[in-house]
Amino acid sequence: MGLAAAKNKRKLGTDPNNTKWSRNETTFGQKILRAQGWQPGDFLGAKDAAHAVHHTEASSTHIKVTLKDDNLGLGAKRNNGDECTGLFDFQHLLGRLNGKAEDVLEAEKQKRENHLRNHYLEQKIGTIRFVRGGWLVGDVVKEKVTEEDGVPQSESVDQQPSEDTNSAESTENKSKKRKADSHDEDEKEEKKDKKSKKRKTDTEAETDSESSKLKKTEKKDKKEKEKEKKKKEKKEKKKSKKSSSDSDDEDDVESSASEAKKSKKDKKREKKEKKEKKKEKKDKKRKEKESSESATESEDSKLKDKKRRKDDTETATSSGTSTPTITSSTRFLARSRFIAQKKMAFADSAALNQIFMIKS
Amino acid sequence: MASHDDKGVKRSNMEDNGQDSKRIKRAENGDVAPEKYNPYLAHLNEDGNGNGNGNNGDFESPLDSFERHNTTAVQAAQAEDSELNPWTGQPHSQRYFDILKTRRDLPVHKQRQEFLDMYHNTQILVFVGETGSGKTTQIPQYVLYDELPHTNGKLIACTQPRRVAAMSVAQRVANELDVELGQEVGYSIRFENRTGPKTMLKYMTDGQLLRESMHDHDMSRYSCIILDEAHERTLATDILMALLKQIAARRKDLKIIVMSATLDAQKFQSYFYNAPLLAVPGRTFPVEIFYTPEPERDYLEAAVRTVLQIHATEPEGDILLFLTGEEEIEDACRRISLEVDDMIRESDAGPMKVYPLYGTLPPAHQQRIFEKAPEPLRKGGRPGRKVIVSTNIAETSLTIDGIVYVVDPGFSKQKIYNPRSRVESLLVSPISKASAQQRAGRAGRTRPGKCFRLYTEKAFKKELIEQTYPEILRSNLANTVLELKKLGVEDLVHFDLMDPPAPETMMRALEELNYLACLDDDGELTRLGGMASEFPLDPALAVMLISSPEFYCSNEILSIVSLLSVPSIWVRPNNARKRADEMKMQFAHPDGDHLTLLNAYHAYKGAETNGEDMKRWCHEHFLSYRHLSSADNVRAQLKRIMETHDIDLVSTPFQDKNYYTNIRRALLAGFFMQVAMRESSNSKVYKTVKDDQLVMIHPSTSVTSPYDWVVYNEFVLTTKQYVRTVTNIRPEWLLEIAPVYYDLDTFEKGEIKSALTRITDKVKRRQAIKGSGSALSGGSEEKDTKKDKPSLTPMNVTEFIDLVGVVVEAKDENLEKKENMKKSKKRWRKGRKKTKKEAALLVPPV
Repeated sequence: MGLAAAKNKRKLGTDPNNTKWSRNETTFGQKILRAQGWQPGDFLGAKDAAHAVHHTEASSTHIKVTLKDDNLGLGAKRNNGDECTGLFDFQHLLGRLNGKAEDVLEAEKQKRENHLRNHYLEQKIGTIRFVRGGWLVGDVVKEKVTEEDGVPQSESVDQQPSEDTNSAESTENKSKKRKADSHDEDEKEEKKDKKSKKRKTDTEAETDSESSKLKKTEKKDKKEKEKEKKKKEKKEKKKSKKSSSDSDDEDDVESSASEAKKSKKDKKREKKEKKEKKKEKKDKKRKEKESSESATESEDSKLKDKKRRKDDTETATSSGTSTPTITSSTRFLARSRFIAQKKMAFADSAALNQIFMIKS
Repeated sequence: MASHDDKGVKRSNMEDNGQDSKRIKRAENGDVAPEKYNPYLAHLNEDGNGNGNGNNGDFESPLDSFERHNTTAVQAAQAEDSELNPWTGQPHSQRYFDILKTRRDLPVHKQRQEFLDMYHNTQILVFVGETGSGKTTQIPQYVLYDELPHTNGKLIACTQPRRVAAMSVAQRVANELDVELGQEVGYSIRFENRTGPKTMLKYMTDGQLLRESMHDHDMSRYSCIILDEAHERTLATDILMALLKQIAARRKDLKIIVMSATLDAQKFQSYFYNAPLLAVPGRTFPVEIFYTPEPERDYLEAAVRTVLQIHATEPEGDILLFLTGEEEIEDACRRISLEVDDMIRESDAGPMKVYPLYGTLPPAHQQRIFEKAPEPLRKGGRPGRKVIVSTNIAETSLTIDGIVYVVDPGFSKQKIYNPRSRVESLLVSPISKASAQQRAGRAGRTRPGKCFRLYTEKAFKKELIEQTYPEILRSNLANTVLELKKLGVEDLVHFDLMDPPAPETMMRALEELNYLACLDDDGELTRLGGMASEFPLDPALAVMLISSPEFYCSNEILSIVSLLSVPSIWVRPNNARKRADEMKMQFAHPDGDHLTLLNAYHAYKGAETNGEDMKRWCHEHFLSYRHLSSADNVRAQLKRIMETHDIDLVSTPFQDKNYYTNIRRALLAGFFMQVAMRESSNSKVYKTVKDDQLVMIHPSTSVTSPYDWVVYNEFVLTTKQYVRTVTNIRPEWLLEIAPVYYDLDTFEKGEIKSALTRITDKVKRRQAIKGSGSALSGGSEEKDTKKDKPSLTPMNVTEFIDLVGVVVEAKDENLEKKENMKKSKKRWRKGRKKTKKEAALLVPPV
C-alpha cells in the first residue's frame, strides 16, 4: 500500500487472538475433554481411524481466513502498480557484462522500451484495435493472400506502437498472424481485454493445440519462449508460402500507395487515418472520438463475427475484438455518439428533407 | 419429545381410520382392508400382522411375488410396466408412462441390476453419481422396490441438506410413482410434515432426521437410510454419518446408502469400513476451461464484462455467474441489464434476461430462473439468452438446464467460526478446487460448454484449497454438542466424526453450555439442557425462551426469538435508504434494537388484525413481509413446543412501567455471554466481556443513547468489528441474573472487573442505606421509569398511558417479585377479556 492509498485504521485489543483463553487450562471445556482422555495437541475423533489420513489442519485448530473487504480478484495483489523502476537499465548492463553481442542487446533494449511505452499508453488512454480490411494486391483488395503477391497491409501503426513488436511476424499467414497478434497484444492490453480477445482467438481456433498451450502458459514468464515458438512457426510458413518479409517502412509506403488508389476499403481506412490524425492534434477530445470509433468498430466486428459464423471462408475479413474503452462507462459513450448522430442529421438539410419526406 | 411422538401416532391413527373408510368404499366387493394395512403402525406391532403381502389384500400386485432383498431389475421393471400401480392398485395414468420413459433414459437406470446386487450384499454402500445422473430420484425408488416397505412397515428415508430440495424431490418422485404427495411418498422438513400413515418413502432434511433420532436412538422406524448430497458435508449430515456408523453396528438389518456427487468417494469409503462403491457417470459434456492471463483487479467488474462479452460473441446458450452475496448479485444484475439494453440498441445483440438467485430471494422469484431464455427480438435475429447471477446455491443443489457458459470469479461467502473470539461470521473467501470444478461442470449439462475463470491457472493451483471445509469445522458447536448429548453420546472426544472439529471449538461449546446451565459441572445434560435441545434454536436463545416466564414476558421473548431466527425484517433499498430509516424510526425504541424488533412485530400484528393488506403495509413500512410472516410461522412452532413443555406464556401488562425492563432483563438470561462494556466514557468503542474484543455498535442501531453496558445479538466482522442488534442493560442485572458467569472471584483483572466491583459495592451501600435489603435492580428503578417510557407503537396507541410522573417506590425484592407475579397473573386472567385484542395479537394465525 502506497502512501496515497486509503487508510484503514482499526483499533486492536491487547489480545485480539484471545490467547488468554486458549492458554487457560482450567476452563470447563478443557476439563471435560481431558477427563475423556484428550491431550493437548491431539485431534478429536476415533482413535486410529482409517479415515484419519484425510484429516486436515482444520481439525487441529480453527480455520483462519483473512478478511476480504474489496473487489480484488483472486490472486491479485493490492500493490500491483508498485513495480521497481530502473530494472531494465540494469538488465541491459547485466547483458553487457554477460558478453552478449551489441546488436542483440540493442534489440532487447528496443523491445523493453517498446513494452514500457505500450504499457504507459495503455494505462493512460487505452489502445485501439482495428478491423482487417483484406490485402491490397496491385489495385484490388483481396480477402486472402495468394502466394508471392501478398503484401500484408500494415495496420495503422501510428497509434499502435504495440504493432512495432509484431512487425517481425507480419509475414505470417493472415489467420496465423491475427492469432499471434492477439496473443502478443494480449500481453500488453489491459487484462480484461486480454481475456476477451483471447476468448475470441480461442474460439476461432479451438482445435489449435498451439493456442491452448499458449493459453496455459504464464505469459510474462514465458514470453521469450512464445517468441521462439512463433519464430519457428514463421519459418515453417516461410517454407510453405514463401511470402517475403517486410519491414514497417515498406508497409507505410504500401499504405500510402493504397490511399492513392482509393478502393472502397481504402476509403474507409483513409477516413480512419484522418480521424487519427485529428486525434493526435486534439488531445483533449480524444476520448469522445475514441468512443465513437469504438462503437463503430465494435459493431463492425460484431457483424463480421456473425458473418464469420455463417461462412467460414469469410474469416479473413473479420478480426479481433472491439476497441477497448478505458474504464469510463460505455453507456455514456454510446449515448454521446447517439446524440452526435442526431445532431449531424439535423445539421444536414438533405437528411432533414429526407426525414420529413420533402421532395425538392 | 415423547409426548410429541405420541401425538403423532394418535394423529396417524385417526388418519388411518379415515383411510380405511375410503378404502372400504373403493373395495366394495367385500374385500375390506384389514387392520394390518397401515405400514406406519405396523412397526409398532411387528410380531403381529406385518408379514407377507399385507398391503395388497385388495388387488393383485406384481409385488406379491417379490422376495425382499432378492429382487432383480427385470422384476422391478415388469412391476413398473404393469397397468395397475403396484403400490396403490390404481390404474397408472398416461403421465406415469411418459415419465417412466424418461426415467429409463437416466444414466443410473443402466446400472439398476448392478446396484441391486451390491445393495443385497452389503450393509453400507457408497454411491457416487454426478449431478444429472438421476440418483436422488431413482435410487430411493430402486430401494423401494427391493425393501418392499409394505411387508414390514418400515420406512425408507432419504435426507437432503436443503428444505426446498426435500420438498421438490418428494413431489417429483410422487409423480414418478403415480401417487399423491403425502401418501406413499412424503416429506418432512423443520416446520412442515407431509407424511401420512401410508408413507413408505420419506424425503427429509438431514436436520429433521437428526431431530427424530433424538427420540429414537436406533432409528427403528427405518429399514434403509439414504444420505443424499453427502459431499456437501453439512453439520447434520456429518453427525448422521457418525451416528449411523454406530447404529449400523447395533442394527444389522439397517441399510445405509451414502450418496455423493463428487469423486471424493475414497474418504467416504474408508470412513465406512471400506464400503463398496458404485459409481454412475453423469450425463455431462466436456467443458472447456479458460483462465485469465493476469489476476483481476476487480472481479465484479470483470465478471460483468465477461458476461457481456459472452453475450456479444458466443453462440446461443445461457450463462451462469457465481457471485458471493445478495447485494453484489443485485448490483451485478442491474449493471448487466443496463449494458445489455445499450448493446441491443446500439448493435444487433439478442435480448438477454438477467435473474438473480440467492437464498433469501422469495421462492416465486427463485422459480423464475427456470423460465426459458427470451425469443429473438425479430425473426432470424440473434438468439436471446438468460443470465443467472447466483450465490453458490447453484453450485450443486440446483440443476438449471440450458447453461452453457459459467463465469467463476472464485469466491463465495463462507461461514467461519473462531472459538477464541467466539465470532461466527459469513466471510467472502476463495472457493476450493473441488468447488471450482463443480462450478465448471454446470456448463456441460446440455452440450459442450465453457467455463471462464476470472483468475490465473497459477492462482487455481496455488491459492485454492483442495476441498471445501465441511460445516462442522466452520461452526459454533454449542447446538451440536447439546444434540449429541441428547443423542446419548457420552464420549465427545472419541466420537467418530469424519472430520473432527478443532479441540478449541469443542471446548468453547462445552463451556458455553455449562454457563447456560445446560450441562452440569460433570458434563452431564441438565433438565434445562434437555428442554433446550427440544427447541430448534441456538442454546442461548432456547435458554432465554425457557427462562422468560421468570421475567413475566415469555410472550414477548417468544416473539423476539422468532424475529431473531429469521433473516432481518428491515428492508433498506438503496434508492430509498432515508425513507426506510425514517420508517424504522417509527418503531424505534430508544433502549434497544430487540425492543424495536418487537415494536415492529406488534405493529405488524396490529395491522393484520385491522385487516390491512399486509403486503402493501409491509412495503410501505419498509418491512419484509416474507420474513415477518416466516417469523410468525416460527413463533407458532415454538409456541407449540413451549406448550408441550408447560412453559407459561405470560406478559407483563403494557401499562406496567416494567414492561420493557422485564424484557431487557430476560434477554440477559440467554445472552449474558454477549455483553460489551464501554471502554471509556464518551468513547464509541466497547469491549466484550471476558473475550476483550474491541467492538463498535453497528450503525443500523436504533439505540439513541447507548448505556455503558449493552447486550448484543451478533458480532459482525467487516472492516471494523461491530456488534449488531444491541440493547441497553444495567450491570446490576448481570450480577443478579448470571452470577456464575459474572463471579468476581474468577474474573480476570481489568477494567470490566473493576467496574463490576464498583457496582457491587454501590449496590451494597444502597442496600445498607435503605436498610431493607433492596433489590439489586431496585437502585436504578427511578431512572428506568423515565427510560422505559415506551415510544408510540402503533399497536398500543390507544392503550398508551403517559407514565411520566408515576412515582415508584423501591420495594423489597422478594416482596416485589411475589406481588408482581400475583398481580401479573391476576391481570393476565382478568385482562384476558379486556385485552382480547392484545391476546389475539399473540396468537398466530392458523
